[in-house]
Amino acid sequence: MIAVEFKHVWAFYQGKPALQDFSLQIKPRERLVLLGPSGCGKSTVLRIAAGFLAPAQGAVILDDTIAAKDGRLALEPEQRGLGMVFQDFALWPHLSVGEHLAFGLKAQGVAKAERERRIMETLRLVRLDSRVDARPGELSGGQQQRVALARALVTQPRLLLMDEPLSSLDFELGIVLRREILALQERLGFTLIYVTHNLDEAFAIAQRIVVMREGVIVRMGSTEEIKAYFAGRARAADTAAFPDAPGQTESQG
Amino acid sequence: MFAKPATLTLTALLFLSVSLAPLIALLVSSLSVDGAFGLDRYQYLLSSSQPRQLFGHSLLLAGLSTLAATVLGVPLGILFGKTDLPWRYPLLVLFTLPLLLPPYFLSVGWFSLLGQEGWLVRLFPEAETVARILADMLFGLPGCVLTLSTVFLPLIMLITATFLQTVNPQMEEAARLYASWPRVLSRITLPGILPGILFVMLLVFMLTLGEVTVPMYLRYEAYPTETLTQFAAFYDFDTATATSAPLALLAFLLLMAEWRARRWAVPDLRPVETSLIIQSGLAGKLSMVVAAGLAVVIVVLPLGALGLYASFDDFGEAWTRGYDALSRSLLYAASGASVLTALGFFLGLLWRERTYFSGITKFTALLLLILPGTVLGIGLIGLWNRPATAWLYASPGILIMGYVIQYAALPAGIIHAVLARLPSSLEHAAALSGAGWWRRVLLIVLPLSRRGLLAAWLVSYLFCLRDTSLAMLVYPPGGDTLPVRIYTLMANSPFGLVAALCTLLIITALLPLALFGLFPKRKESS
Repeated sequence: MIAVEFKHVWAFYQGKPALQDFSLQIKPRERLVLLGPSGCGKSTVLRIAAGFLAPAQGAVILDDTIAAKDGRLALEPEQRGLGMVFQDFALWPHLSVGEHLAFGLKAQGVAKAERERRIMETLRLVRLDSRVDARPGELSGGQQQRVALARALVTQPRLLLMDEPLSSLDFELGIVLRREILALQERLGFTLIYVTHNLDEAFAIAQRIVVMREGVIVRMGSTEEIKAYFAGRARAADTAAFPDAPGQTESQG
Repeated sequence: MFAKPATLTLTALLFLSVSLAPLIALLVSSLSVDGAFGLDRYQYLLSSSQPRQLFGHSLLLAGLSTLAATVLGVPLGILFGKTDLPWRYPLLVLFTLPLLLPPYFLSVGWFSLLGQEGWLVRLFPEAETVARILADMLFGLPGCVLTLSTVFLPLIMLITATFLQTVNPQMEEAARLYASWPRVLSRITLPGILPGILFVMLLVFMLTLGEVTVPMYLRYEAYPTETLTQFAAFYDFDTATATSAPLALLAFLLLMAEWRARRWAVPDLRPVETSLIIQSGLAGKLSMVVAAGLAVVIVVLPLGALGLYASFDDFGEAWTRGYDALSRSLLYAASGASVLTALGFFLGLLWRERTYFSGITKFTALLLLILPGTVLGIGLIGLWNRPATAWLYASPGILIMGYVIQYAALPAGIIHAVLARLPSSLEHAAALSGAGWWRRVLLIVLPLSRRGLLAAWLVSYLFCLRDTSLAMLVYPPGGDTLPVRIYTLMANSPFGLVAALCTLLIITALLPLALFGLFPKRKESS
């Protein structure tokens, strides 16, 4: 599985810095959560990792390959071998569940028989094998989330990016699905970068948590360390209510 | 409390009664003989094979022109709406220019290039044989398809570019993880906006089908010209009404089929916050070079040849013989655009509501937009050409009414799209502050949609200014417009004079567009 490194990355949104000298290393098979309030730059990290955005300065390295550097993409998104689950799932309304999964496999040139086998296998994994012909509009919110997850997994990505994938679901369904995500990651072993602003979700998913604010890392550590960091403070459901961070980073870079 | 429903219902009733009355009059007139029901007026249609043959010609012309406009317009829409390539805005304006002019101008332009005394023979006398072959092709189906596809290509291009702004960027990003841009566009983006493209194709098909001036100038026998001939040449009003009916019926059936299939006809043009842009690579730059070459061939060459054909003396003569028609054109177009914008604003407000009147006025406005101008003209004559209504029929009011009926969908659609983007919370806040509906509309909605109103006025103005088919039938005595004047002068006037008059109208059409283009820049710099 893939190792990811961000080296002194700067990114700008509408002229303002979205990431400021951002450096981070992620190990293969690691589950890393980016935690922070809206606008702190955590989704920008994912967009740069996916190749939707080139860093204005700095480099992104996937394994030992430079994927982007100083404003230029060296690898296009489709050349990176990644999967991504979007906040609103980004399902294609005109395609069936099966066609969603076939899209990436066809682009990879996977033969038809193998493609069908992998589609059914992945749909069984997310318990949607009976809905292979359904369109997104015919599915519940939880099922749509599973389709988005299956689409991301079917190509056997080396790195899975998840951008607040549970934020549009109700609380109970969110708990069920994050257990499923954990189980799948354990079983398939992909590297996971997970973005959320919810503390409970972060603690449930992460092996390591990076706390961000205004485009910089303000704290980084294991789940236990970050729990301890917040332990003495009023437990906020939303990171928008975080007290001012001390401005120090641990084991950064 | 009743201000909103009363105003919007009144708007709907007024629009429906004024706009549908000519069509009902046309239908009733075509089906009655001496006050009783009869199909006598359809005798010509039913007994002769010529109308069926002409209808076939028109369907072929409309089909080929729509196909060509789509094949070129969709890629151009992608290029201009989805990339960050340089020069895309000047090229967009260049491609849009033919839509803003009377359609036959391009045919006249091609004639000035390929005709017996055209630029090709003037500059290369040895190429006379080639010029003759090309001129032969111009006069007929190929020339009509070339002209009409160039004229209506901008509709498909602009609508495609606009729809691309409404695609959820995350859907494209999700696909970009696996595939390159061409595959993402063909499998995800374009299928997503396909209903909109099909709708605009229908629009182009019907507008091409109803066009009379280009087939008449290029001597291609088409069905709508038959209606005009029956009326203008033989003054056989009965047969003219009967020949109009199939076109009206076809427009109704096609729009009804589209309406039922999609349950909407004016697509939601609300753009997403940030649409995904294709970064320009070598392929993009090459595409832009190809697009620039295409613009030179299909727009710059014919219109440039037309403009250069006229000498200074021709322009002097054109001014003398055309300034009265030009000033009338400007006055009628400005008046029509003002009424259209006012009506469009209230229709736009109505279309925000999910009511019966909202749907029926939307359908009617679209039907009237795609209805051939000659059909509407015949209907207006049948309804208003009576002694009791001579005060209207003999005045410019009949032409302005025709403009309003035919083009209401354009300003209403633009203003509806603008109103749909206004956050409803702004009006809710005003309501909570105690403002009634009229107060909210005048003090909140109207000021916030002023740019949309300006755009709606400009589009209406340009469509009224370019109109020929409708104006040809209902202009008041001694009150012809410049497109009609040019069209009638073409038969027996020096070509240089015709070229000068066309150029005069092109400049007149471009002036407000240039002023509108400067408007946002001034605002930004202040």
